[in-house]
Amino acid sequence: MSAATAINRVMMAAFAAFLVSVPWSVPALINSFWVSVIAEILIWSLFAASVNLLFGCVGLLSFGQALYFGFGMYGVAIGISDLGLSFWPAFGLGIVASMAMALVTGIFAVRLTWHYFAIITVVFSLIFYFLALSNKWLTGGDDGINFTLPPTFTFGGTKWALTDPTFQYFFILTTVALCFWLMHRLIGSPLGKAFLAIRDNDVRASLIGLNVYLLRLIAFVLAGFLAGVAGALFAFFGRYASASYMFYHVSGEAVVWAIVGGAGTLFGPIVGTSIFIIVREVVSSHWEHHGLIVGIVAILVVMFAPKGVVGLWRQWLTSLSERTVTPADAAPVDIKLRTEP
Amino acid sequence: MEKLLLLAMNGLIWGLIIALIALGLAIIFGLLDIINLAHGDFFMVGTVLAWATLQSTGNFWLAFIAAPLIGFILGALIQRLVIQPIHNVAALSIVATFGLSLILQESVRITFGPTPRRILPPIQGTVPLFGIDYEVYRLFAAAVAIVAIGGFFLFLHRTQLGTWMRAVRHDRDTAIAMGIPAQRVYVLTFAIGFALACVGGVVAAPITTVDFRGGVDILPFCFMAVIIGGLGNLPGTAAAAILLAFLEGVIQSVANPTVARISSLVLMSAVLLLRPQGLFKGFAR
Repeated sequence: MSAATAINRVMMAAFAAFLVSVPWSVPALINSFWVSVIAEILIWSLFAASVNLLFGCVGLLSFGQALYFGFGMYGVAIGISDLGLSFWPAFGLGIVASMAMALVTGIFAVRLTWHYFAIITVVFSLIFYFLALSNKWLTGGDDGINFTLPPTFTFGGTKWALTDPTFQYFFILTTVALCFWLMHRLIGSPLGKAFLAIRDNDVRASLIGLNVYLLRLIAFVLAGFLAGVAGALFAFFGRYASASYMFYHVSGEAVVWAIVGGAGTLFGPIVGTSIFIIVREVVSSHWEHHGLIVGIVAILVVMFAPKGVVGLWRQWLTSLSERTVTPADAAPVDIKLRTEP
Repeated sequence: MEKLLLLAMNGLIWGLIIALIALGLAIIFGLLDIINLAHGDFFMVGTVLAWATLQSTGNFWLAFIAAPLIGFILGALIQRLVIQPIHNVAALSIVATFGLSLILQESVRITFGPTPRRILPPIQGTVPLFGIDYEVYRLFAAAVAIVAIGGFFLFLHRTQLGTWMRAVRHDRDTAIAMGIPAQRVYVLTFAIGFALACVGGVVAAPITTVDFRGGVDILPFCFMAVIIGGLGNLPGTAAAAILLAFLEGVIQSVANPTVARISSLVLMSAVLLLRPQGLFKGFAR
């Protein structure tokens, strides 16, 4: 085991231990407000991961993921407040709605690539943003829909609901961790390898017999699933849904988080999202113009770490192992092609 | 009928202004191959500069000189300091311009304030036109936009710098081999793009509100014009901007503005899917 893998394993274990201990350690160290900030970071990381799955693994830059996030939100909110569903069916409705929407729009969108793909995804999300704004009877427009949370589990007399902050945190952590684990498995599977082949060269991928269109559509629906889960979680977390989360600025932020963290890496979205949300929370309590700091950070990262923070980290690890290991062992790692953490 | 005429006229004139802004976006897109998410904010900076000029000198007309000049300098600086170091990598440029957009919006919010303001049209009064009383300033705005667009095309086709810009866009390596300073052409292109958006901002300032979020709505509209017109097809971009705004104006006379916006977005999806090379391919090159 090289020094780099050892460091990575220790970091992973420390990170996992930290996440599990958050509801107790964070209130003791800072205050309990930060528990909900970390829960929010987890949700938005999942959203950034959906951009990352498309851009980092298949090479399609989507600027419209907020559409599927919004469908996840509205699926939950409309399911609970209008249809009277309980917790799990509403969660399911949110996810199914966003995946169905991703399938319908994906059929058209993945016919295009690069600039055209980026723009058609914005256009689709704008169409539904304006529809959501104007159909106030269904969506509540800009004000959104507020709803009261149904209990998550009921065992006889005992109820578990997200109103308990610790339960809510662990519910979000479990769901997000499950999605990231699924994504990790996906990238290692033959399907994931096919995605990477398309990202690196779609012509060659089609020449070895891969159905590029179908694979891109599958990736698009999977990304819609991730965004939908994130949206549904965010609806549960905030107890409301609003059209403003479907605007293209929300999609744009996710693109920035994913690229700043490191596109194509599993942990990139988490790192990028954490940086921006922590900066926002720390600065916004002292100074209302936190957007200025966010903008400067985004520009500095692309100028000095074009492969993202995770890319920078790997570069550092590689240089470390090159110094300690004999040169024969230190095969250069192609950062762009490495996808596991 | 009068309402239709009024909204159609408004749409047409708004389209001319958008065409001006979209041309700036199109040359940046075409030459540097970057998706400039800050372009709407370049327009917003133009409206704010118009307001600032009016406040400090009491003369609106000075803004027509000051705003493009400041825009040109800012554009050149941004290209040198931010865009060039990232070697025009498209994915990175999206992040960089998104950051730039936040920086511009927040800087304006700090200096100018969060509340939207209005500028009174420097030319008051109305003039009878096809049976309706039409604001003189809007007609003047249309004239300015036409002159600016015409001037830009003259610059592109009749001057050495314009020829260089077209040459670098056509074939960068050959252009460099012929001794054209491509790096400087990039700086110039970005600066001109910013300056055009600023002219659009000054012209539009008395028609819309001056607000630090003023660019957010403009940006998708400009992209629609660039795509429907065809990437890199500058006359097509201008025509598409005018057509889109005119259509939205006409639809607004029978339905609400949101429906109008949705229909132009649907039209754009159709163009993207059926004619990704743009509506006007074959008409102009």
